[in-house]
Amino acid sequence: MASRTPAIPLSETYRGITTEVARVPLQMPARVPWLIALILSLALLALFLASVTWLFARGVGIWGLNIPVNWAFAIHLYVWWLGLGHAGTLISAMLLLMGQDWRNSLNRFAEAMTVCAVICAGMEPILHLGRPWFLYWMFPYPATMGVWPQFRSPLEWDIWAVLTYLTVSVLFWYIGLVPDLATVRDRAKKRGWQVFFGIFALGWRGSARHWAVWNKTYRTIAAIAVPLVVSVHSEVSLLFASGQVPGWHSTIFPPYFVLGAAFSGFAMVAMIAIVMRHTFQLGHIVTERHLDVLAKVTLAMGLMTAYGYVFEVFDGYYSGELREIATLHDRFFGAYAWAYWGAVLCNFVPLQGLWVARIRRSPVLLFLISTSVVVGMWLERYMILVTSLYKDFLPSSFGYYHASFWDWSTYIGMLGLFMTPFLLFVRFLPSISIFEDKEVLEREKEAAAHG
Amino acid sequence: MAEHLLGYLGEFGTADALFDATKRAKADGFSCIDAFSPFPIEGMADVLALKRDHRIGWITLAGGIFGILAMLATQLFVNVDYPIEVGGRPLFAWPAFAVVDFELMILCAVLFAVIGMFVIIGLPRLHHPLFGTPRFGLASEDRFFLYIDATDPKFDRQETRSYLGSLGAWTVEPVRP
Repeated sequence: MASRTPAIPLSETYRGITTEVARVPLQMPARVPWLIALILSLALLALFLASVTWLFARGVGIWGLNIPVNWAFAIHLYVWWLGLGHAGTLISAMLLLMGQDWRNSLNRFAEAMTVCAVICAGMEPILHLGRPWFLYWMFPYPATMGVWPQFRSPLEWDIWAVLTYLTVSVLFWYIGLVPDLATVRDRAKKRGWQVFFGIFALGWRGSARHWAVWNKTYRTIAAIAVPLVVSVHSEVSLLFASGQVPGWHSTIFPPYFVLGAAFSGFAMVAMIAIVMRHTFQLGHIVTERHLDVLAKVTLAMGLMTAYGYVFEVFDGYYSGELREIATLHDRFFGAYAWAYWGAVLCNFVPLQGLWVARIRRSPVLLFLISTSVVVGMWLERYMILVTSLYKDFLPSSFGYYHASFWDWSTYIGMLGLFMTPFLLFVRFLPSISIFEDKEVLEREKEAAAHG
Repeated sequence: MAEHLLGYLGEFGTADALFDATKRAKADGFSCIDAFSPFPIEGMADVLALKRDHRIGWITLAGGIFGILAMLATQLFVNVDYPIEVGGRPLFAWPAFAVVDFELMILCAVLFAVIGMFVIIGLPRLHHPLFGTPRFGLASEDRFFLYIDATDPKFDRQETRSYLGSLGAWTVEPVRP
């Protein structure tokens, strides 16, 4: 480790890190850009609320859904949002257990991104329910009708997986945040801030006893969170794979979905990291080395996802099933070939630039490549759903899917549901882990002192 | 000076200084001591003999077992209480149950771990006498503190104060309720 460029420059001090991060909530440095972003995302949120109101009034018919394509935007975006979220947990939990110090500048906002993305993901199947106000029917409560939820149905998998994932993400994020809330509490000068951070810091004192128990708990949850991520996205893929629809019924689906999720998520984290370090001048803490490593991980995930693409094609031909092969050909040449080739193009072509160190370290290029990946994964999820469904088993029930205005308005509005809480987090909470970066600095200084 | 005294708080400049001071205080027979730092210091738990505390692990395990058993019991019960026959398929669909059981195992394990952690460290708590000490706020920035409690058998109003100074503390402050 000592021979590599340190993640945090050695010239940095503990006090420097505290001031640099804690100043963001206490004396907001970029008020105007933040306010513009907030107004924009509130406008999107208003669009979302309008779309949802109309949806509740008229039902899912306002979307372009019909037989045979009765799963489209809501489900493909459910998979997409959840996938974006997974990178946050992987960065935080898996890299913590593997002792990767560079994670410490990224984990906090990556986890916050996870929480916002999981909220959006959870909304999608709820909106798709048709009568969302009966959501509570999915919970086993003693109903006067004497009925119970159907635990043999995959719909139950969804609600418990998302609920668990959301709860665990929030808790993991929060207990990692407590020591930093204490730091900001001790720096706050105004009474209002002192009370706000004082309450949420829960009286944290940084005692060795606190740290010892905290460390154990944090690592235990991290160790649990890694299989949780894998299980949640596998569960999502099993929703597809456990049916016998051609193009979905494949054993590659769980790993293919999990890797694709991590791929889009790491790209998303890179995008957010670039925007944050630029807006809040956090270049000393989120360094070029961080961008470099993020780019490498994205590249690795992308190549593994590409393996999934190749294997999907192999799987189709190897099965010898005529319907399987027909679906494959529909993906290549059918009415929605643009989604397939668009996904291949956006996911894997610009990605190859990341082999070059100069591109990995260039914020602008990395941002553009990451955007392309996020769009590409969007197209992939769309392609997986629609190309498998639009040609039903009987030619008489073939049909096309066209996204309606309300499909788009719900989706674009939901970006506001994602951005609004994230912007509030960036504004009011320490968005980079202060104490974990100090830990890294301490270790680096020790390594430098001992050669 | 009959004023009530809870203990003394000594301030150190680096993690190493605090680590050595804690080790020496422990070796000199002080037992009611605590160390405060802006980040966890490697090896500090060993010095204060906190390492062999495995309660969190057991609590997490108990949570996991509780979660999986409770969910499995619910699934079995609802299928017996209101059986829905679909095409002769078995009422107990183990593969379908397993997904939700696994999620509940994780959910309860994490909930137990977090609640257990707060119970063990005695938080949340609105106030603590240490916060009344002027320099203690720096414990979350770049200073390191060693606290010797007045209930320690070796504690002495005059001696302990100079003892902390002899360990290399920059400042020594009394902690009052």
